[in-house]
Amino acid sequence: MSQTIFEKSQAKQRAYSLPAEDPVFAAFSPPKDLCRATPLLLPEVSELDLTRHFSQLAHKNMSIDTHFYPLGSCTMKLNPRINEWAASLPEFTHCHPLAPNESVQGCLQIIYDFLEILCKISGMAAGTLVPNAGAQGEFTGIRMIADYHKKRGDHNRCEMLIPDSAHGTNPATAAMNGYKLISIRTDENGDMDLQQLEASLSKRTAGLMLTNPNTLGLFSPAILKISSLVHQSGGLLYYDGANLNPMLNLARPGDMGFDVMHINLHKTFSTPHGGGGPGAGPVLCSQQLEEFLPMPRVIKHGEEYRLQNHSKTSIGNIASFQGNFGICLRAYLYAKLHGHYGLRKIAEQSVLNANYLKNKLAPFFKVPFPQPCMHEFVLQADQYLSKGVRVLDIAKRLLDYGVHAPTIYFPLIIKECMLIEPTETESKATLDQFVRIIEVIVNEIETQPELVQNAPYTLTVSRLDEVKAARFPILKHTVDH
Amino acid sequence: MDYISNQEPQIQEMLQFLGITDVDALFADIPAQIKLARPTVDDGLSEYEGSKLIKSLAAKNTFSDYENYLGAGAYEHYIPALTGAICSKSEFLTSYTPYQPEASQGMLQIIFEFQSAICALTGMDVANASAYDGASACAEAVLIALRSHPERKKILMGASVHPNYQAVVEQYLAEHGIDIVKIPFGVSGELDFDALKSQLDAQTAAILIQSPNFFGNIENMKQVVALTKPFEALVIHCANPLSYGLFAPPGELGVDIAIGDCQPFGLALNYGGPYAGYVACKQALLRQLPGRIVGETVDKQGRRGFVLTLQAREQHIRREKATSNICTNQALAALASLIVMLWYGKEGLPQLALTNYQRAAYLKQQLEKISGIETTSGAIFNEFLVKFPHSAAHVQHYFRKHHIELGLAVDSFYPNLSNWFLVTVTETKSKMQLDRYVSVAKELSV
Amino acid sequence: MKKYSESHEWIELQGNIGTVGVTDYAQKELGDIVYVELPKVDKEISKGSEAAVLESTKAAADVYSPVSGKIIAVNTLLSTEAQTVNSSPENEGWLFKIELKDPAELANLMSQEEYHNLFK
Repeated sequence: MSQTIFEKSQAKQRAYSLPAEDPVFAAFSPPKDLCRATPLLLPEVSELDLTRHFSQLAHKNMSIDTHFYPLGSCTMKLNPRINEWAASLPEFTHCHPLAPNESVQGCLQIIYDFLEILCKISGMAAGTLVPNAGAQGEFTGIRMIADYHKKRGDHNRCEMLIPDSAHGTNPATAAMNGYKLISIRTDENGDMDLQQLEASLSKRTAGLMLTNPNTLGLFSPAILKISSLVHQSGGLLYYDGANLNPMLNLARPGDMGFDVMHINLHKTFSTPHGGGGPGAGPVLCSQQLEEFLPMPRVIKHGEEYRLQNHSKTSIGNIASFQGNFGICLRAYLYAKLHGHYGLRKIAEQSVLNANYLKNKLAPFFKVPFPQPCMHEFVLQADQYLSKGVRVLDIAKRLLDYGVHAPTIYFPLIIKECMLIEPTETESKATLDQFVRIIEVIVNEIETQPELVQNAPYTLTVSRLDEVKAARFPILKHTVDH
Repeated sequence: MDYISNQEPQIQEMLQFLGITDVDALFADIPAQIKLARPTVDDGLSEYEGSKLIKSLAAKNTFSDYENYLGAGAYEHYIPALTGAICSKSEFLTSYTPYQPEASQGMLQIIFEFQSAICALTGMDVANASAYDGASACAEAVLIALRSHPERKKILMGASVHPNYQAVVEQYLAEHGIDIVKIPFGVSGELDFDALKSQLDAQTAAILIQSPNFFGNIENMKQVVALTKPFEALVIHCANPLSYGLFAPPGELGVDIAIGDCQPFGLALNYGGPYAGYVACKQALLRQLPGRIVGETVDKQGRRGFVLTLQAREQHIRREKATSNICTNQALAALASLIVMLWYGKEGLPQLALTNYQRAAYLKQQLEKISGIETTSGAIFNEFLVKFPHSAAHVQHYFRKHHIELGLAVDSFYPNLSNWFLVTVTETKSKMQLDRYVSVAKELSV
Repeated sequence: MKKYSESHEWIELQGNIGTVGVTDYAQKELGDIVYVELPKVDKEISKGSEAAVLESTKAAADVYSPVSGKIIAVNTLLSTEAQTVNSSPENEGWLFKIELKDPAELANLMSQEEYHNLFK
């Protein structure tokens, strides 16, 4: 039975060491009435037990390094180790965020140069590396749109248009900014319903949040019409950069008509997902929105860089300091290694891999959108419901075959769906192997559906009771556990 | 270079299977006027050239040449070697959010243990899997309070809360029509309780106080709680979590929500991030917690396991009604913090906190002996204010000649406090280093 | 006498007080209910507005009040036994009781037969 580290505590065992005390320090002790009265209930564990505990936990985790991980919308590409090396250099790790500009010219130059690269890729005029994640980038961009309208003296722009296929962070971000949501439906072809869009645009429209290709992996052929319509109404366009991978140096959001956007460095730019973060969500924008960019910004004076901390029009601060610089550094190196040439290759190969896999899997599932996809695609498994097998079961059975399941039940508008994104880093052999595994599972569904319904069997736990976890939450170690 | 596995032979096979001759055929839907031409020149770098580029940029950073006494929300601490060794393990570094729990028991258990460690440290009932940083944690805490009291439209915030944190709270509240009233601080940097009393009323949803505050002072949180209780407003306590190794944690003080930044635990300065915010609260506020939460459960055979739970609060389910838009958080950074909290453990963490306190107290006392130098009174943890009898620029320049970054010139955040410095001392400063600081200070004051 | 809404709520009247819950169809669609967010007693609700939220592990569904009025009671059993909504949606799994403001609104609701016809 697995134990938490708290349960491995043994009296007086320890891992730590501290510098020897100089006796003169002992003279200082804090006022008793301010001190802790209750003991600190952290475990007492030796270095060996700590090392072993976490090493054993690592064996209970799938990862890109160890398994094919075709999670749609997540871009699970290889996280190169050279980026880790760069980020661990003490010349970077030791830099205090409030260090004087002269002493951190390397950091400042990286921020400045990386933003130039990102502006070039996105067709935007300026940007910020501060947002700590995609959702934080969305928040920043929507705040900028809000201040843009306020500055124009237009206080009627209270509605934000969002497609029904959008990632949950989009409506959540809009709501955090006080907008009323207008949902625009996706039609049977996987396109935005243009008629409904036109009907929904008005003088109350602050903007439209969109990702292109959309969450179905489809490029919107009407994108220029969409951006033109929105601009005509006086609204602005926000680009959710989660699906930027197939667009790198192939088409630029700025050219599509977007005014402001974010990029997920932990998706498109290979920074490690780390089990749920840290990521980074840089924001890029058009010239007319530049004045609203958050603080601080990096400016260049001749050959010197410095931080600008104040601006009258900026939306202000969105993080404690400069954001996840360590993540941006990794992404910067990634971009430099590829060059614009290599980034274009990423776009092309991610799309080739996706279309190849989609067509190889087509015999086994319903393909709701037959046209070529971009970097990801949707398949439906509802035909197996008659055997009592849901796409959830297929996902769990995949785990037994050493593959991390793709995204399931997203986007919400497609029933019993899988969203699959192989990324450009996977080889044909891996894709072919995945197809063979699917074939085996489909066979199992035909002949022994219960096997699939009760998967997985070969991991450290079988299917977990999520209902129990939600009804009777146990959210931490308790003493009488 | 790139990391694309497939080369010409495989690419040809795949194109053939698809019945096309060039990948370009797949991009037919892209309007011609926005489609970029393929670059013809390879402007990429080999790994070796990339490493040289990075090294040349690294060489432009000279901050390591100085002994660092800067703090103000980012602290230099020793990071145990085990931290990097575990965090760089493939299975943690390159895994994703644990949406398939059976395949992610490692990460899920880690988050569960992180939540447990934060609760142990703060004395609170529940904690989430992390926020981006201390600033966003403050903002999320304020939003929790506003959701708990939907009819109330006023927030009190100490003016001695880190100004960047204050700015982010204001950012998150920008479109909510909330009255943010700042409670000023007195001459010594401590909270003005008269001002607090005069502002507290039935319209107040919450009060946000940082302690130790931006200037390093420990505030009288007991009094804040006592004054606030009758109005049923929520008390939000923002703190450097290391200070709880020594000082009374929010659970003992009756605080409702405890937040801050885990950066002092295992997270290098990294020019501002990644850090990791913590958000912990009383049981009654559980369903208002933003972000991911891991819970314990059992599998079909009754074996213990961990899952993401209470997800109905989150953006991927609740969308516009979610408690927050947060999706990706700071999981790997939280792992680093967990490892350090465990490495120090029950006895080590209080020792670490104490030695921070003592070294700061020692430096402060030695500086106070120098005529012309002013410090503030009141209890501190590991940061304090110092004023030299010269302009800040002159003082900085002099110390830098001796390769010491003496502290933060506070007027960069509080323009009225010219010539005051915030000096931070951690376990990384030996007596010899502190004595050297003092002798440089003495030379200045002659 | 029970009446039904198109969004799968039912209301049973006793005098001017209506007991409101969700139908068997609704609980089946949602799956295992893990948590019920109930309105505050004395809250004024208008017809068609959100009165409660039913959470499963994968979804959160709004419950709309079929009538306007004031909440006079909520089913406190559900705070510890949320699954009652699944096991007895039209009986012990009732959500709240509401004092009707405008009984005329009942005319817009469906009878039991009309509701069951929706599924034909």
